Amino acid sequence: MTLRSLFIPITLLLVIAFLIGPFLIIVAASFSAGETLAFPPQGFSLRWIAKVFTVESFRASFGMSLFLAIGGTAAALVLGIPASYALSRYKLPGAEIVRTVVSAPIIVPGIIVGLALLRYIVVPFQVGITLALFLAHTALVLPYAVRVVSASLDNLRSDIEEAAVLLGSSRLGAFFRVVMPNIRGGIMSAFILGFVTSFNQVPVSLFLSGPGVRTLPVDMIAYMEIVFDPSVAALSSLLAFLSIGIVFIAERFLGFSRYV
Amino acid sequence: MFQNRAEALALALPAAIFAAAVFLVPVVILLSDGFRVPTGGWTISAYTDFFSNSLNQTVFLRTLRLGALVTIASAVIGYAAAFAIVSLEPGAKGKVTGLVVLPLMISPVARTYAWIVILGRTGIVNQAFQALGITEAPLRILFSETAIFIGLLQLFLPLMIISLISALENMPKDAIPAARVLGANWFQVFWKVVLPLTKEGLVVGGTLVFTGSLTAYITPAILGGSKVLMLETLLYQQVAVSNNFVAASVIAFILIVMSFAANILLKRVATARNKQRSQA
Repeated sequence: MTLRSLFIPITLLLVIAFLIGPFLIIVAASFSAGETLAFPPQGFSLRWIAKVFTVESFRASFGMSLFLAIGGTAAALVLGIPASYALSRYKLPGAEIVRTVVSAPIIVPGIIVGLALLRYIVVPFQVGITLALFLAHTALVLPYAVRVVSASLDNLRSDIEEAAVLLGSSRLGAFFRVVMPNIRGGIMSAFILGFVTSFNQVPVSLFLSGPGVRTLPVDMIAYMEIVFDPSVAALSSLLAFLSIGIVFIAERFLGFSRYV
Repeated sequence: MFQNRAEALALALPAAIFAAAVFLVPVVILLSDGFRVPTGGWTISAYTDFFSNSLNQTVFLRTLRLGALVTIASAVIGYAAAFAIVSLEPGAKGKVTGLVVLPLMISPVARTYAWIVILGRTGIVNQAFQALGITEAPLRILFSETAIFIGLLQLFLPLMIISLISALENMPKDAIPAARVLGANWFQVFWKVVLPLTKEGLVVGGTLVFTGSLTAYITPAILGGSKVLMLETLLYQQVAVSNNFVAASVIAFILIVMSFAANILLKRVATARNKQRSQA
């Protein structure tokens, strides 16, 4: 073996160990029978996996995160699909401004968005924390929704809906019967990307928490500051497998990576 | 192309108005807070106050330093990894790329939490060091700049590798063999051929890694603790502990300016080298 032919496997091994190794350690640690977080795990048990489901705050915050990820992404799509359609098919006056405004939330650090919302929406307008979180997560996902849906609209020839209109369909009918079926993969991909982004988001939700109202990742950070047991490791592994599963299925059935 | 302007506006405006109302306007007001005098008028005294505080100076410089170090390290490792991946068989290439992308799907909280198990007082690294007799007492790696550096590098390295993979794949296949035939050594091949041909990928990856590191919250919060602050965690403390909204606004403005400056600067670096080359 020459030095060069060794370079490739060794580099790959080191890089992948660095990127994936910590995750495997977390998975192993979550099967520990011991009282504290440790590696190598002390014995084998499912007690910490089971404990995750009994922690009251985890159940509440998981429900909240799920609601935000599904609801926020759906709302972002309801706003984003028409906007993408206008940007891709119409001569829209001020198209560049619209594009910049809807994709701006991606550029500004989340913690600033969360604080701005707290100070200038929640406090002055007496908006509830849950609604504020919903608005924040919708705004956060909107750029992804517009980007992914626009990409799949741009890949679809526009003359098929013009043909449908010419053949007597209304504009709206042409959209739902001709365009929608063709960009379904893109919309599903936007949904999954938005879901994962929203579910894992921390900084935006940091300031937007009230008594009993918190997103799951923020709750996990709060928990690990007080308790040093393997339950956060167990929860992290469960969540990781959940999102890997979702992405894997999406890739399998939609060819997810084409859109992202 | 449809020409109906009213229809176009009706489709696009809800999204634009929503983003403006819940995002743009509140953020702009927040950023202006740091420049306003409570009694009316404008000032930059909040900024001079901020930078005259030595703790703030430390945090500001640490944030810049960590951002730069993480970007440089990920570029060096990223080139090695991207080279290795591009030279694989198509099937293996897809699988390895998948493994590189996989961490991006996992919650950053989980990914950062793993480093506590590895770097903590009774963590793997300390166990190994003591077993090998390198150190007597456990080292304090957690809650340090080193820990944040490692955490950020792991978080953002995949973005650099992906950018460089597509840059290397778009490079003409015979560029490297040609340079070798003409007598260039490997260092010259990289510096004179590969780097100029892939610098757009490097700039894209570098921008993502640098701005990501500047504005990361979870990593410094978990691996830096309450003592080793970066700008994001300082901002959080100013609000949650000190209730100092003016300082928070100042930090927010600095973060945004740094991100934008990095974007513009790196783009300029890329195009400047381009011009040089086309003139020569």
